[in-house]
Amino acid sequence: MGAVAKAQTFWRSAVEGIRHQPFVHAVSTVTLAIALFTLGLARLAGHELDRLVGSLGGEVRVTVYLDPHATPEARTAVAGALRSRGMAVEEVSPRAALDRLVRELGPAAESLRGLSEDPLPPSLEVRVPERMRAPGSLRALAEEVRGTPAVTGVDYGEQAVERLSAIARAVRWAGWVAFVVLVGATLIIVSATLQLAIYARREEVEIQKLVGATDRFVQAPFLVEGALQGLAGAVVAIAALVAFRQTLSPQLASLLSFLRLPSAAPETRGWTEALELALAGAALGLSGSYLAVHRFLRA
Amino acid sequence: MARSLAREGRAVAERATFCNNPVAPAPAMIQMFHVTKAYPGDPPALLDVNLMVEKGEFVFLTGPSGAGKTTLLRLVFCAEPPTRGQILVGGRNVARIRQSSIPFLRRNIGVVFQDFKLLPHRTVLDNVALAMDVLGVPRNEARQRANRMLKQVGLQHKTEHLPLKLSGGEQQRVVIARALVNEPALLLADEPTGNLDPGLTQEIMSLLSDANVRGTTVVVATHDLAMVERLQKRVVRLERGHIVQDAGPAVVRRVG
Repeated sequence: MGAVAKAQTFWRSAVEGIRHQPFVHAVSTVTLAIALFTLGLARLAGHELDRLVGSLGGEVRVTVYLDPHATPEARTAVAGALRSRGMAVEEVSPRAALDRLVRELGPAAESLRGLSEDPLPPSLEVRVPERMRAPGSLRALAEEVRGTPAVTGVDYGEQAVERLSAIARAVRWAGWVAFVVLVGATLIIVSATLQLAIYARREEVEIQKLVGATDRFVQAPFLVEGALQGLAGAVVAIAALVAFRQTLSPQLASLLSFLRLPSAAPETRGWTEALELALAGAALGLSGSYLAVHRFLRA
Repeated sequence: MARSLAREGRAVAERATFCNNPVAPAPAMIQMFHVTKAYPGDPPALLDVNLMVEKGEFVFLTGPSGAGKTTLLRLVFCAEPPTRGQILVGGRNVARIRQSSIPFLRRNIGVVFQDFKLLPHRTVLDNVALAMDVLGVPRNEARQRANRMLKQVGLQHKTEHLPLKLSGGEQQRVVIARALVNEPALLLADEPTGNLDPGLTQEIMSLLSDANVRGTTVVVATHDLAMVERLQKRVVRLERGHIVQDAGPAVVRRVG
């Protein structure tokens, strides 16, 4: 019988606490909303970064140079081996390679006159599937292909890929550091604010303890208040993020159009993200109020 | 689940400690052995105090301001620990009690203060029901019992009022209702009639006497010597932290 009755008591006490100190609770809720909005925005930026890296990675092509003296069967065997691993392979003859070079050089192509008919080796242009675009995977693939008979060299734009990957890694680390700092700062602000609320109700706590309330009984309504504030903050943050996506996001996308981002934004995870933000809000509110009430009871 | 059962078990055990066992000899309600309480920079509030209060007794603690009456009561309900000595309440040594066990002990002790200590934003009924909320008594049952208790103290028509809308005497009756609603084995009252006129003092004291008749041990700290003389109960007089007199209408003894 006790648990339900106590849960009802905690709920009533929490609602009453919020009603009697609306300003303090509003400050906590706004702080949580700002933190959650920033977190949501950082996640949005993270998704965009992933899309950017993914789209640039799509440009990564591996060029496999073949021995001009190798037999056609040996060359076909190399192409076949790559295709069997899910890669799109285009065979480029010396003639086609030269034509492409002439096109790319434009007027400067005059200098190519006088060369023997086939100055460039035959090659294979390979489009690597997404799962193999990490720098390590590309390096391993290049090493493996280099060891194949009929192959004289492999080029996959090693430096560009590694630099892009390093940038993405640095941005992610910076994101994590910012996340920890933000969560820490939010917890400090929320617990300090809630401590004001608890201090204002110190007489109530004292009376509860006089009639035999345990520390848990005293803590519980404050924890409920913290969780409610977190959820309210999450609702505000989600509304602000939706508004941001619908108003400012298209304008930013047009400003950054030179990056040639893929046009279709992934919207399918909206509900999951909202739920995650709500849970994060409740957890932050709970943690902040736990810190505040724990400190108060130990003082 | 297991923790909850453990807590329930602790509460039941605590309750059993306070209740009379018909077979075993009942321990005294309060036993103090060589108790000293000192605060840094001040002379001791209590010095080598020995006191025994039997179950079912009604005892007045008297003495001038600063004699140590309030400190003695605070030690009994574990508001603070003694500096030296042992205190047994219902047979339980509270000088060595764990912090987490104090709430379960307090559920068997009703406390009444001169400054009431009522929640100003809660109704009279909610203030009385608070003592049952901490025990997890269902709301309807708690309100019914609180209503019955308020009727006993003559406040059945003020249940939905806020405490600050009541007179001093009425607020003190609410506090007594809250202290008695769980039928505690021990009631401690610190100057319960301090701010009240003689008529109200009479009312409050008859509520405490009724509780005593029903079996609750009552200890009242007071300055009001006229009231003490009128009620003809045991009187323990404190001065500068010492018990200087311990006398009753039937038994007169000196302790400490």
